[in-house]
Amino acid sequence: MSDREEAPGRSLGTSNLDGRNIDPALGALRGEGAGQLVRTPIAPEPERLPSAADSTASQDSYYDLPILKETVWRLGVPVYFYLGGLAGASAALGAAAQLRPGLAAMVRRTRFVAAAGAMVSAVLLIEDLGRPTRFLNMLRVVRLSSPMSVGSWILTAFGALSSIAAAGEWTSLPRKYVDGAGLAAGAFGLPLAGYTAVLLACTAVPVWQGARTTLPPLFLASAATSAASALDLMDLPPRAQAIARRFGLCGKAAELLAAHAVERELSSVPRVLRVLREGLPGALWVAARLLTAVSLVASAPRRRPRWLRVASGLCGTAGSVVLRFAIFQAGRAAARNPRATFDQQRSGAAAATGS
Amino acid sequence: MAQTRGFFTDTTLCIGCKACEVACKQWNQLPDDGFHFTGNSYDNTEQLGSSTWRHVAFVERPVPLGAQLEAHGNFSWLMMSDVCKHCAQAGCLDACPTGSIVRTEFGSVYVQPEICNGCGYCVSACPFGVIERREEDGRAWKCTLCYDRLKSDLVPACAKACPTASIQFGDLVQLRVRARERVAELQQRGVTEAYLYGASAEEQPGTSGLNAFFLLLDKPEKYNLPPEPVAPARKAGRSWASMALGAVGLAVLALVATGAR
Repeated sequence: MSDREEAPGRSLGTSNLDGRNIDPALGALRGEGAGQLVRTPIAPEPERLPSAADSTASQDSYYDLPILKETVWRLGVPVYFYLGGLAGASAALGAAAQLRPGLAAMVRRTRFVAAAGAMVSAVLLIEDLGRPTRFLNMLRVVRLSSPMSVGSWILTAFGALSSIAAAGEWTSLPRKYVDGAGLAAGAFGLPLAGYTAVLLACTAVPVWQGARTTLPPLFLASAATSAASALDLMDLPPRAQAIARRFGLCGKAAELLAAHAVERELSSVPRVLRVLREGLPGALWVAARLLTAVSLVASAPRRRPRWLRVASGLCGTAGSVVLRFAIFQAGRAAARNPRATFDQQRSGAAAATGS
Repeated sequence: MAQTRGFFTDTTLCIGCKACEVACKQWNQLPDDGFHFTGNSYDNTEQLGSSTWRHVAFVERPVPLGAQLEAHGNFSWLMMSDVCKHCAQAGCLDACPTGSIVRTEFGSVYVQPEICNGCGYCVSACPFGVIERREEDGRAWKCTLCYDRLKSDLVPACAKACPTASIQFGDLVQLRVRARERVAELQQRGVTEAYLYGASAEEQPGTSGLNAFFLLLDKPEKYNLPPEPVAPARKAGRSWASMALGAVGLAVLALVATGAR
């Protein structure tokens, strides 16, 4: 037993158990880190004896320790990347369909997908915050240097507009407001589907910032695939089916091209490209493109039986989801690998000036 | 606005005593990280984090260093007390969507804990891997440059505790002058590998220079510092332009797909 535990009249407050070792009777917790919450007591470290290999691990890094902190985002975030793309591209397609006569059924469905997607997205993003109750702080400032700030405002505007457009189907809102909201949601849907790629590109993570030019088109193309695939899963009139097919064909082809372009952009630093090609991210990356390719082939015939449309929709959806997970997991792996950062910066690929 | 303040960490003077780590923890009342034994030389802290705002790195090298040649043969230590760099252009500050991260009147980068909502974007935006979100707390934390002490005209706890003046705190302009004199002195004494890391915007354009800069004796990678760090927002233009083009493409596709017969 330590002296402190024996000392009479002195209670062991939580501040003693959290490792701060401050006796509340003697010291006030007013330091700059005093508010940092700690789960008490500290979990014991698993016993791991270092081996000789540890200290001689490398001469070109610091004991192979990561130089970057891995993202703290959980799996809801890549799901949001998919949903935001789905909602955004659906709204854009719906807005375009709204301009043509006789596509009311299609407009209705895209509006529903857009509004539902936006709502689930908001829930996922709030859930992912470290302090979910403070989600409104996202709208405290407008900071153009932060894609997350810009994106928060885009999602807010999109959520409101798409909700009005969808609500128009069940309420007696004046037609012109509903249609206006539908068009505006389509306009906001475009950046909603693409800004998430800029969000990733504006980080220190080698594989994300290395693909800064090609990642946005990839996400936008994948968003088109997602929206078309969602429509493929629904019962639609033949003309709407044909539109969804055309939209999907172009989206899937563009997605495969953009995925190839991402690899090309990353190939200037081999170690960074390897992150996307190896392990779990590599498997997901291959699977995503396979699923998209299958979906592309399945949507090629002009007249498709229902089972083929559903198969195409399922593969396209799965491809888009898996694609976001591949990119997400590659970022986690890249952050753990200090040499990916060193190589990228030494090669000049991360230079402050130029593109 | 007050003068820009910062740290000049002269690693040639560091003796690895970790008094800075202890003083930082104590003054800022930071929680314990537990006791690890890593086996990585004398470094059992490993990296900066939410509750570790100073970290002493121990680099073991199979090369002699100056006077150590006689005593140790082909072996030398490099020690460096690492800290948040308070970049002149800070990735975390650019990325913060809530305005929680601000630049203070001392030029330092400060996270306001009562505003941070724990979105975690700063964690991925920092090119030095400094700022970290503490899971059970939910917010991002890092060195404050002892904002509370600065407001009372006190020197940050780590600099106050450093027994060898390896950590020097002061007006950034004066620190740079002092650092250049120190490099010249070392060069003259034959320590030709001495150089400054991040001392100015010219030397490190990606961050517009660091308010906490270093004198190093080997490649930055040895100390787990990035060789050419860049605040990610500097390169955002290309991504936004690419996104805008793609968005136009998607809009055209939607119009064409719905219009064609």
